[in-house]
Amino acid sequence: MTTSGPIKILISMIAALGTGAALAADGPPPGGPPMVVKHGPGPSPARLPDGRPNWTGFWVPLGGLMEAYRGPSGVEGVPGGIAVNIPHADPTAPEMKSPHKEELARLLAASARGEGLASKEALCYPPGMPKMMTMVYGMEILQTPKIIALTSEWDAASRRVWMDVKAHPPEEELEDTYVGDSIGHWEKDTLVVDTVGVRSDVSYFYGLSMDHGKTHVIERIHQTAPDILVDELTLIDDDVFVKPWVKTYTYHYRPDLHIQEYVCLDNNRNVDSEGKAK
Amino acid sequence: MRSKSFVLIVAVLLSFSGVQMVSAHHSFAAFDTTRQVTLTGTVREFQWTNPHCWLHIDVTNPDGQVEQWQLEALSPNVLGRLGWKKNSVKPGDKVTVLVNPTRDGGHGGALISITDATGKKIGGRE
Repeated sequence: MTTSGPIKILISMIAALGTGAALAADGPPPGGPPMVVKHGPGPSPARLPDGRPNWTGFWVPLGGLMEAYRGPSGVEGVPGGIAVNIPHADPTAPEMKSPHKEELARLLAASARGEGLASKEALCYPPGMPKMMTMVYGMEILQTPKIIALTSEWDAASRRVWMDVKAHPPEEELEDTYVGDSIGHWEKDTLVVDTVGVRSDVSYFYGLSMDHGKTHVIERIHQTAPDILVDELTLIDDDVFVKPWVKTYTYHYRPDLHIQEYVCLDNNRNVDSEGKAK
Repeated sequence: MRSKSFVLIVAVLLSFSGVQMVSAHHSFAAFDTTRQVTLTGTVREFQWTNPHCWLHIDVTNPDGQVEQWQLEALSPNVLGRLGWKKNSVKPGDKVTVLVNPTRDGGHGGALISITDATGKKIGGRE
């Protein structure tokens, strides 16, 4: 895998973390013990009247924040939860093109010096696509034959996959939004979702304000067990990356939890007008 | 060692030496994650709010002066799933907290863990 300088540095930093020191929001600590999932039931019934898989319910990142604290009811092999943070840069990101590459390096260096960074998320704007699929606090899926709604507990950010629409609006009519325009279809039991029309100011990275080019996201979502849902996500942005960014998100069905309200604007008391922590 | 019981559950972040992290909401660069400070004081206010809960405590320093510390914690949706309630901490409670202090040397920090006057952990699951 080709990676840019700052990303390589981050990989080495993360690799240097001791076992049990960190738990990323969407996976176990690098170098930590392998996860042993105690599988439970999936949504019931397993299929909807139209024969499609039923994913209605609340899902959390496997081994992530919401499971680190739960111990036996969730995942074994994950240390009793401590860290809840997400790195600014994602080590799975492919090499970036100029000027984005230099901009990321500049921002990471500033952060390393302890400088607060401008961030729209800190100002309570929604995370947007594809970043919201990290679903750090969990995801509620509501499903009908024509619409599949995926709501992130983080900022109640919601996206809808239109199942009865065959094509995106013409580009000249497409209105860019935080979550974009998503159309889906089933290939056997895999939900294939195509998303375009994401605003260029929805950063691909946590806590960094970085504009980008034209976003195209292709997702293949399927179950690998009754209680496990996998989103194989491909982000294509030829203005920013030298090749598509392929990420895999794994979610665990948690019927013992439900989505909660999270209104970021309620008491957002320690960020400035740019979203820098103060 | 009693301090071991402190280091549980409510962490905002712990010692990612050199790795700058952000929460789902905002950067924690303002906090010095290489340092941990233990404080004992009296709760003045507990804000059970999004995007972060805040604990305000009065701490009497060695000179006898009362310092007002403001400590940032996780969000109610996370703390609630750790067993916290909105009244888990009340004004007047005596508490001991472990924090990552702010880099500016002020009386602020990120809350890592908290115990009551008897040494019992507040929140969390056994």
